[in-house]
Amino acid sequence: MECKFVPSVCSYCGVGCGVLFKVVDGKLTGTLPLKTHPVNEGRLCVKGWNIHDFVNSYLRLKSPLIRAFGRFIKTDWEEAIKITSDRLKDIVRQHGPDSVGVLVSAKMSNEENYLAQKFARAVIGTNNVDHCARL
Amino acid sequence: MKDQVKKWLESGTVDIFLGMKMVDGHPLPHAFTLGNISDLEELVPGTVRYPLETFAAELAAENPDARIGLAARECTQRALNVLSLWNQAPTDRIETIKLNCCPSPLKEHAACSYLDPPEAGLFKKHFGIDNAADPEAVARFEPRERFSRWMYEFQKCIKCYGCRNICPVCFCEDCSLEHKDLIGTGQLPPEAPIFHLVRAVHMAGRCIDCGLCEEACPADIPLRLLYRKVNAVVDDLFDYRAGEGEQPPPFNIIGERPSLEPKPMENGSACPQR
Amino acid sequence: MAGLAAAFGSGAMTNSIADIEKAGCIFIIGSNTTACHPLISRRIYRAKERGAKLIVADPRGIQLSRFADVSVHHRLGTDVALLNGMMHIIVKEGWHDADFISQRTEGFDELSQVLDRYPPNRASSLTGVSVGQLKEMARHYATYGPAALLYAMGITQHTTGVDNVKSCCNLAMLCGNMGVAGGGVNPLRGQNNVQGACDMGGLPNVFPGYQPVTDPEVRAKFSAAWKKELPAVPGLTITDMVPAMLEGCLKALYVIGENPKLSDPDWNHLHHALKNLDLLVVQELFLSETAQVADVVFPAASVAEKDGTFTNTERRCLRIRKAIEPVGDALADWQIISRLSSAMGYPMEYGSAEEIFEEIRQMAPKSYGGMTYERLGIDGLQWPCPSTDHSGTPILHTQTFPRGKGKFHGVDYQAPAELPDEEYPYALTTGRMFAHYHTGTMTRISEKLDNEQPTGYVSIHPEDAARLDVAAGDPVRLSSRRGEMEAPARITRSVPIGTLFLPIHFGENPTNVLTSAETFDPLAKIPEFKVAAVRVEKLPVEKEL
Repeated sequence: MECKFVPSVCSYCGVGCGVLFKVVDGKLTGTLPLKTHPVNEGRLCVKGWNIHDFVNSYLRLKSPLIRAFGRFIKTDWEEAIKITSDRLKDIVRQHGPDSVGVLVSAKMSNEENYLAQKFARAVIGTNNVDHCARL
Repeated sequence: MKDQVKKWLESGTVDIFLGMKMVDGHPLPHAFTLGNISDLEELVPGTVRYPLETFAAELAAENPDARIGLAARECTQRALNVLSLWNQAPTDRIETIKLNCCPSPLKEHAACSYLDPPEAGLFKKHFGIDNAADPEAVARFEPRERFSRWMYEFQKCIKCYGCRNICPVCFCEDCSLEHKDLIGTGQLPPEAPIFHLVRAVHMAGRCIDCGLCEEACPADIPLRLLYRKVNAVVDDLFDYRAGEGEQPPPFNIIGERPSLEPKPMENGSACPQR
Repeated sequence: MAGLAAAFGSGAMTNSIADIEKAGCIFIIGSNTTACHPLISRRIYRAKERGAKLIVADPRGIQLSRFADVSVHHRLGTDVALLNGMMHIIVKEGWHDADFISQRTEGFDELSQVLDRYPPNRASSLTGVSVGQLKEMARHYATYGPAALLYAMGITQHTTGVDNVKSCCNLAMLCGNMGVAGGGVNPLRGQNNVQGACDMGGLPNVFPGYQPVTDPEVRAKFSAAWKKELPAVPGLTITDMVPAMLEGCLKALYVIGENPKLSDPDWNHLHHALKNLDLLVVQELFLSETAQVADVVFPAASVAEKDGTFTNTERRCLRIRKAIEPVGDALADWQIISRLSSAMGYPMEYGSAEEIFEEIRQMAPKSYGGMTYERLGIDGLQWPCPSTDHSGTPILHTQTFPRGKGKFHGVDYQAPAELPDEEYPYALTTGRMFAHYHTGTMTRISEKLDNEQPTGYVSIHPEDAARLDVAAGDPVRLSSRRGEMEAPARITRSVPIGTLFLPIHFGENPTNVLTSAETFDPLAKIPEFKVAAVRVEKLPVEKEL
């Protein structure tokens, strides 16, 4: 029996409410408002109270998928990364770096956004990087 | 308290102890075990409250052999009493260490978030209901004014369900608040006043007046006052106060018949005096 | 953010969330705050109950309208006319802050010339707001300072989005509400890390910290750090990428954590564009509408399964912490990007999110330089935070603006690109409802949230419903020049007569079938989601047997 409470931040709107994830035996069993957080002072909205629902959803993607003959096939990381990088390299070689676009996300962390734009600019060599906040 | 918890964990009196620990300047709930016994250095009583009894009840239900220790305020103890009466917590497997906490400024060294309630603003005092108001004072408003003041409060509701989610004595699998025939869905505010009255009715004879609901309410609705009112009705009618003693609650419909008789009529009426 | 940047030199919420409670007056325009930013509405309630005045301008009746001292429902897309009308009155009555204008701003003459054209009668006839209400709005905002202005997508998702924002900035500067506690221009960001995505250079024209890609010095700095020659020409925005895909010059798209098939303005248009790609890679939690048409799908870890930071709407950088292991083979986005990058021949070998954060501090020193994971703790820090002894910045622009003086822009009202006509007689607007989020990928699979609102719907005024002979729950068909969709009707007085409202979260009732990809703000490239012209027809009700 292992139980812990992990302070974090809600991943829905831009308010950034402090939450506390309740973890029992490695499973996320609940979300609570962080009582002393400067943003939400121990309150949450209906979405925030239910973060654990989507994290635990059976619909979560659990392995990389590749389309072959019109259908998705489950695969492992090694193959998925290899296929993707080979095809990207091909496209860059044939059509130049500006034939690739990267859409980063207003839902990922700062670190991940930083890496994603670094990927576009330094790895691919294009400034075709944008996010969906306009939408 | 640290020594006591240490002794309990080492002797196997409890397998896990739920208390509060300081993390980056914030008191957060923490499960102390033999495995992390050094964390006990940072065990704090603190003024901040989380429903530790709910966590204890859940852990106990999942782990039939586990013994659980708990830093318990007076409200925690009352909640455990209620949960035990409704067969929701095996109190024989839950040990408590009492905290000096009762929300009274008169009590020395008491620690509770309720000692420092936010002050209601002037507008709220004029048009709504001051969370710190005396229930008697609210009862003295003219019915029409009282209704409009409560409606003002209810219309602020953003339907987060936080009052129910945080409540240590809310444990129903199917909640009436989510019953589509009772309350419409998909709209803000939720239907007023029915949403809050449905919850209030279910709090009668059950609410232990901890005030966690009000602390979780984004709209500062004076929920504690509302549930005190319904509890007062139960007290008047049945002479029953939730969380005190081991008497089964009056609305326990799990048994064959209502478990409590109304108290003898006074002045020829069973209704509470107005 | 282009409007804010033009006026002040930086684009972000100028004040803090807690600060709203200090306002003497709160002016909310184009934000259904209780549904979309619920924990900000808490601050609004508290300010109101303390005695602050509340002005709510929204084409729809929203929950906060009930508590407003002045509540107006201006016509869709007439925000500039409304704000100009208010400012006209403020200047005429002498309620403006002449000291602030002369010391801290420039361009006032340009503004006043435009304002001359918005006397109350004209503003009233353009917006549908009475002259009396206009005057009350102006009086409340200008005389109960400090006044906080709050807005959201109701201001930005228009062809005139940048103009709308500039007008908001004009109003705040006119009354000297900048750089003071309880004041400011406060855009409420719709997604948890919009601010961070922009800060980190998730934009085609800037590196992290808003350093322009066109600046040779900046480019040299990043080239040196990243050990790679970097492109100098700004890239394509998402709004430009779609035509580039259709024309065949954009061959591959790597979509991380987004579902443009539901969030992009024109579903049909985008559908064809995505089909035209040689390679579509989607990194997601779920098999979203966009992931379903991908060539490769990478499973990503959720917020509870990784470490990192988010920057919220008030520029507060906050830590998320790993609580559980990712499901199945899912990996944190940063791990996936690192692997792909290494496979492409550019090794990225970060051992933790914190290592990446340390690099961010180096590369965006003015805003993030003083932050460390240890310092962020639970409370976080608000940028700019340039050094480790800096306690963060709750209020921007207290002394000067990043561009020096604040700039007034004379902005004229322009009608929305598409107005109702005989063929498409209803005005359609879109938005969020309280129990769901964005494209619904995270909320609709939650039992609790699905119970609250299981399907899409279209809000319609009772008089319109009577005219169309539509009862509550009846299916109706909506068609625009782009396409058509069906949804059950919800009859409510929260929308004005002749206007319909559609929530955006429901893939089977995609609102972007109706909205337009052709009409967007020319500068910010934000599509006009908030106004479209549609036709409504009642569909035969299937009788239950």
